[in-house]
Amino acid sequence: MAPEQPAAAQLEVFIDGEAVQVPKGSTVLEAARQAGSYVPTLCFDDRLEQFGACRVCMVGVEGGGPPIAACTTPCVEGMRIDTTDATARRVASNTVELVLSELPRPPAPHTELAGVARFFELGEPRWRGARHEPDEDQRHPYLVLQHEMCISCGRCIRACDEVQGAFALTATGRGFSANVTAGLDSGFRDSTCVSCGACADTCPTDAITEHLLLDLTSEIATNGEEGEGSR
Amino acid sequence: MSERFEQTTTTTCGYCGVGCRLEAHRADGNVVSISPALDGPANKGHTCLKGRFAHQFARSRDRLQAPLIREGDGFRLATWEEAINKVSTALNGIKADHGPDAIAGLASSRATNEDCYVMQRMMRAAIGTHNIDNCSRVCHSPTSFALRKSFGLSGATGSFDDIEQADVALLIGVNPTQGHPVVGARIKQAALKGLKLITADPRRIELADYGRIHLGNRPGTNAAFVWGLIGVVIRDGLIDEDFIARRTEGYQAVEEMAHTYTPEAVEEVTGVPAADLERAAHMYAGADRACILWGLGVTEHKYGSEVVRLLCNLALMTGNVGRPGAALLPLRGQNNVQGSSDMGALPDTFTDYRPVSDDAVTSMFEQRWGVEMKREKGMKIPEMFDAAVAGGLKAMYIFGEDVAQTDPDTAHVAEALESLDFLVCQEIFENETTRYADVILPSSSFLEKTGTFTNAERRLQLVEAAKEPPGEAKTDFEILMTVSAALGHEMEYETPSDVMDEIAEMTPRYAGLSHERIGRKGLMWPVAADGTDSPILYTDEFELPGGKAHFAPLPYKEPGDAVDDDFQLILVTGRRLEHYNAGTMTRRTGNVDLMTGDVLEIHPDDAAPRDLDDGGIATVTSRVGEIKLPVQVTDRIEPGHVFTTFHFPEVRTNLLVGQSSDVNTSCPEYKVIAVSVEHAQDREREPALA
Amino acid sequence: MSRNLTEILRAEEPQSPPTALDVLKDAVADHGELTDDDRRRAARLSGLPEAAVYGISSFYDDLLAPRGRRHVSVCTGTACWAADFGEHVGAVQDALGLSLGERSADHGISLGQTVCLGFCHTGAALREGDLVDAGPDVVRRVAAGSCREAPEPQGTSMLDEPVLLREGDWSGLRSALERDPAELLAAVKDANLRGRGGAGFPAGLKWEFAGRAEGDEKVIVVNADEGDPGSYIDKHLMERSPELLLEGMALAGYAVGASRGFVFVRSEYPRSMPILFEAAERARDAGNLGADIGGSGFDFDVEVKEGAGSYVVGEETALLNSLMGLRGTVTARPPFPAERGWHGKPTVVNNVETLCNVPFIAANGAEAYAALSPGATSGTKLVCLNERFASPGMHEVSFGTPIEVICNTIGGGLVDGHEIKALQIGGPLGGILPGTRLETPFDFDELAAEGCMVGHGSIVAFDERTDIRALATHLLEFGAHESCGKCFPCRIGLQRGLEMVRQDGPVDRARLEELLETLELGSLCAHGGGMPAPIRSLIAHFPDELGVA
Repeated sequence: MAPEQPAAAQLEVFIDGEAVQVPKGSTVLEAARQAGSYVPTLCFDDRLEQFGACRVCMVGVEGGGPPIAACTTPCVEGMRIDTTDATARRVASNTVELVLSELPRPPAPHTELAGVARFFELGEPRWRGARHEPDEDQRHPYLVLQHEMCISCGRCIRACDEVQGAFALTATGRGFSANVTAGLDSGFRDSTCVSCGACADTCPTDAITEHLLLDLTSEIATNGEEGEGSR
Repeated sequence: MSERFEQTTTTTCGYCGVGCRLEAHRADGNVVSISPALDGPANKGHTCLKGRFAHQFARSRDRLQAPLIREGDGFRLATWEEAINKVSTALNGIKADHGPDAIAGLASSRATNEDCYVMQRMMRAAIGTHNIDNCSRVCHSPTSFALRKSFGLSGATGSFDDIEQADVALLIGVNPTQGHPVVGARIKQAALKGLKLITADPRRIELADYGRIHLGNRPGTNAAFVWGLIGVVIRDGLIDEDFIARRTEGYQAVEEMAHTYTPEAVEEVTGVPAADLERAAHMYAGADRACILWGLGVTEHKYGSEVVRLLCNLALMTGNVGRPGAALLPLRGQNNVQGSSDMGALPDTFTDYRPVSDDAVTSMFEQRWGVEMKREKGMKIPEMFDAAVAGGLKAMYIFGEDVAQTDPDTAHVAEALESLDFLVCQEIFENETTRYADVILPSSSFLEKTGTFTNAERRLQLVEAAKEPPGEAKTDFEILMTVSAALGHEMEYETPSDVMDEIAEMTPRYAGLSHERIGRKGLMWPVAADGTDSPILYTDEFELPGGKAHFAPLPYKEPGDAVDDDFQLILVTGRRLEHYNAGTMTRRTGNVDLMTGDVLEIHPDDAAPRDLDDGGIATVTSRVGEIKLPVQVTDRIEPGHVFTTFHFPEVRTNLLVGQSSDVNTSCPEYKVIAVSVEHAQDREREPALA
Repeated sequence: MSRNLTEILRAEEPQSPPTALDVLKDAVADHGELTDDDRRRAARLSGLPEAAVYGISSFYDDLLAPRGRRHVSVCTGTACWAADFGEHVGAVQDALGLSLGERSADHGISLGQTVCLGFCHTGAALREGDLVDAGPDVVRRVAAGSCREAPEPQGTSMLDEPVLLREGDWSGLRSALERDPAELLAAVKDANLRGRGGAGFPAGLKWEFAGRAEGDEKVIVVNADEGDPGSYIDKHLMERSPELLLEGMALAGYAVGASRGFVFVRSEYPRSMPILFEAAERARDAGNLGADIGGSGFDFDVEVKEGAGSYVVGEETALLNSLMGLRGTVTARPPFPAERGWHGKPTVVNNVETLCNVPFIAANGAEAYAALSPGATSGTKLVCLNERFASPGMHEVSFGTPIEVICNTIGGGLVDGHEIKALQIGGPLGGILPGTRLETPFDFDELAAEGCMVGHGSIVAFDERTDIRALATHLLEFGAHESCGKCFPCRIGLQRGLEMVRQDGPVDRARLEELLETLELGSLCAHGGGMPAPIRSLIAHFPDELGVA
């Protein structure tokens, strides 16, 4: 909207000891990525406004304070970030374990959540409490919403709002019952959904995915090999 | 993702003119999923349901998988050798008996640049005729014509990125969230971040809900409406005098003519309240950066090309051309409307719109191809059908187009096709047109071919095969090369990339194009020899003699069709999100489950006296035809108008469209059709020819 | 729903349309439960997408359970729990023959629960319609359909001249309007007025940020969502000193350059809203609110809005979302409300009690304010004591007063010879002080050293009968129920914590501490971040009773 910015002011921050120059207003996550340091994330998507919900991008800040969420913390001149800080990693890892513990089955191997779980070397979660009840919405010809696999990261909602502008999705409930739904809990078809699939693209657990890909995934899971291409 | 798929190919969507870059994922030899490419310059990681689920139609059981030759009332399977033989024998025979101009070809705005180039070369060099046209004739030829006259080049002056940089955007005769969903989404997001939208359309389009002003001007009155804006801009001293003085010619005549278009006079003609018109003019002219976007709601009119010129006037007088955020962006209907014409699949021009009447240009191509060609232009599409009915045109080679479904005055088209001695269709599905064919050659969908498409931003983007064509179907490139050789004109290309190299070599404005350079990011023409492309045109000079743009003092004239006592409503036709054009592709996907048929949108005030309710069946009659279809009562359309789509062949909407067309380009007047609408007593929905 | 839409919705409209939450609340009040037609209507009137409205309707307690013609809510707050360990909750269910959240078949009566009605000085409270009844025999009365209005608490000031326990006389505003707004801002900064809602952030700094932030229109929002169970301070101020609060708001508006203010009152306080309405009307009539106040050219007016049942909405970003009629979930900061708050405008969010301190500062200056307190923190503080005390109620004290003095001298010790086993100070996110540490002074730093906080200023005493494991379960039930569901540690972690203490066996101490660390360091807001504090206190002081091993 605004005329081209003059060359934005730069800040210098240190990521794992390495100095990086970033434009003013950059987040710690952006600086870390620029420095080539991997910071795991779940609720973050480049295309979407930051959300700060998953708390998996925790990193340490030199100076002994508590860990910070890299995705929502703006860089400050001279800041020294340790992406491998033990406390930050422990908090992030325990959070991912909590997330795994709410799902009735492990996420499919190709999903982002499975990748983050592998990064933290998490196996079966230690928690044995309540899990989401299976609740699969199949009413749309292409898209499936497996409510039980939803981790309330809000990416689908933001993709629908900020990429497509269909405003078809919403967060529902609160606390442990939080989830996501389309329209008046009426399924994609009876909502303002335009079937663009941006929600499925961004979903880190395949809670929203395509029928066909679900079939493909389950065939891989059951047969250990790739299945039929078409339904 | 990798563990689920055996291969992922990045390609460019084959539906609309947005040009989404897509990742096609293959498993077990088939494309089973498509996701948007995150680095796509036009789609920026997004796509719509048409592109995303395009793999479904590509896999359809209905795909043509072997050549077919007419046998009695039906077709029989044939070998390629047999089919090619039949085509070359028939066409060579007609050429011998009636001369090359008894044959005409249609290239496709769906096909790649390379295929279009090869097709026009085949018609010009192998057959020896300039009777080559493409379906941009029926959509955006007025845009192309007008932009060339006003500015010099036939294309958008900027890119979609200008939308995000603009303060104000005027959308006229375009419904992007339905027709160009990904650009529609970009506009919506820009509006949510502060872009002020002015929408002008007989229907209250979705984007009007995100805009500041909506103007529901009557169909066919675009010229008066744009003049109204121009008049207020001049009256209130909002012109950019410096820009007009330095960079344009002919302003005076526009200023003189503008005085007659007072807001009150324009309200009389267009139905747009004078105050709204003034507000819109102030908003547009008061912006630092303003874009104009239009679509077929501007072009598919009797004076469509003139309205585009008036839009150019408006942009010129406010200095809104040639700067970031100040672009004129025609939203092209099909994936390669821009490219098919750029490539010279037109009866009067070679690549880059250089006329066949230009001896130097034609000589250059003659030398390159080793043939002789006429200097007189060939037939446009409507002329082809007229000539077929009259008997002068004997054969057609139709590549990737369903003229019997999508062209106006369907009855006339059908008669033309029936009159032909020989019709070749190169297609992926049987359709209305192939019913008249003598030979059907099974070809490839965009997921099965290699080449480039040029999107509505003038951006050439790579198309790469994600899978093999089904059965014995072949790529269009291979078919055209084979047919041309059989006709006696061997082309020397080994791959579509070689074709692009020739295009670059033969066309100064495309000098730097090559598949390698186009890469993942695409190139926007003109492309200099060193590969520098042109996101924004006319930053310093217009491409007209003296470098100056031309104003056009073209008065408002009434549309070709008008309501009277018998035909009391104006029918506007258009597209819906879920389907694409004739529905050939989208009806072979799950989209048909989301939108199951064409409906007639009608305002409650018009529905009530006709005793029509939601779901009731209406009979729609125009001066040339009659159809029946279900009704949807909605206040999104202005009273006095009805709207429908043309996605379902069984409805045959285009039976209603007459022969009125753009005065300069023959683009049909799909958007203004006087009709009568009545409650259908019987519940049948059979189309009928009047 | 994403932020950009809520901002454009108001871009061109000078008059606020009703929020979706307003429309939904009205629908529940009208016919007891929400239908899809109500949701569609709310979407149409508010301009929000239908999906967003569905999300809102599934968030707030007040919108969830269907209501009968009589609707009874039983208080499950901590003070009521401390009184009878939750016995009244079971008793009312038995008496009405309904479980919590249930409506009778004939729709005649429904029973819900509510976390703290602010009658902590009386014990066991419940509400029928807009009537709050409390104290002994309350269950019998509701069963008989003869509820009566519960007595309001007494307020006493330990100061010669009360700063807070008085009605506003608008002298502070008149005095400020004679001088430059910058002088008022400087005075509030110099007075080092710390926020009284829990976090203790300097109010002057908040004002300065908002005053400096880009944007023509600025907004003052009063956080009157006093959800902390055991606290009824803000309720008391709103109902007894409403003009003091309005005066504080106007002063904030003058200092910041805002002409619009909102009071966001929790729906659990049915008496507060009408009193504020009336007070605002009186103030307008007297020329203390409205256009060109006192001929100064300063315009300021106030709207009173009501919440819909959510504890986390007391967090400032969640409060703003709720004020806009959205789901009351927390938003990551930055941007802070001072930069980007109500519909994107720079917004000051101050707690009720904080603003009630401002008229004194405006009238008497920073030095006089600092002199009120012998402690490190300047000014005075209201503390409120629960029903367990012999003299429960509201007391205005100086910072630095020892807890022992507050409990035994002012509060008169516990009733019926009971002994203080532990105190929870400042709300559910405050640590628990064992009865053996009462010498601790009531001030920010000293309480922090004990793992506790000033918080809202409530003091809930648990007597010697209290089962510590049951207390932990009570606290975590509240925590899990009220988690807004946005950040993962809080959303899942509090559920897991609750599961750990609710089962019968020993609690794995290492696992619990690991969980508490994840909650404390990982959570997005003070809800998940603060819930570990009382549990840590219980581990530290009562490990055996808690059953950790």
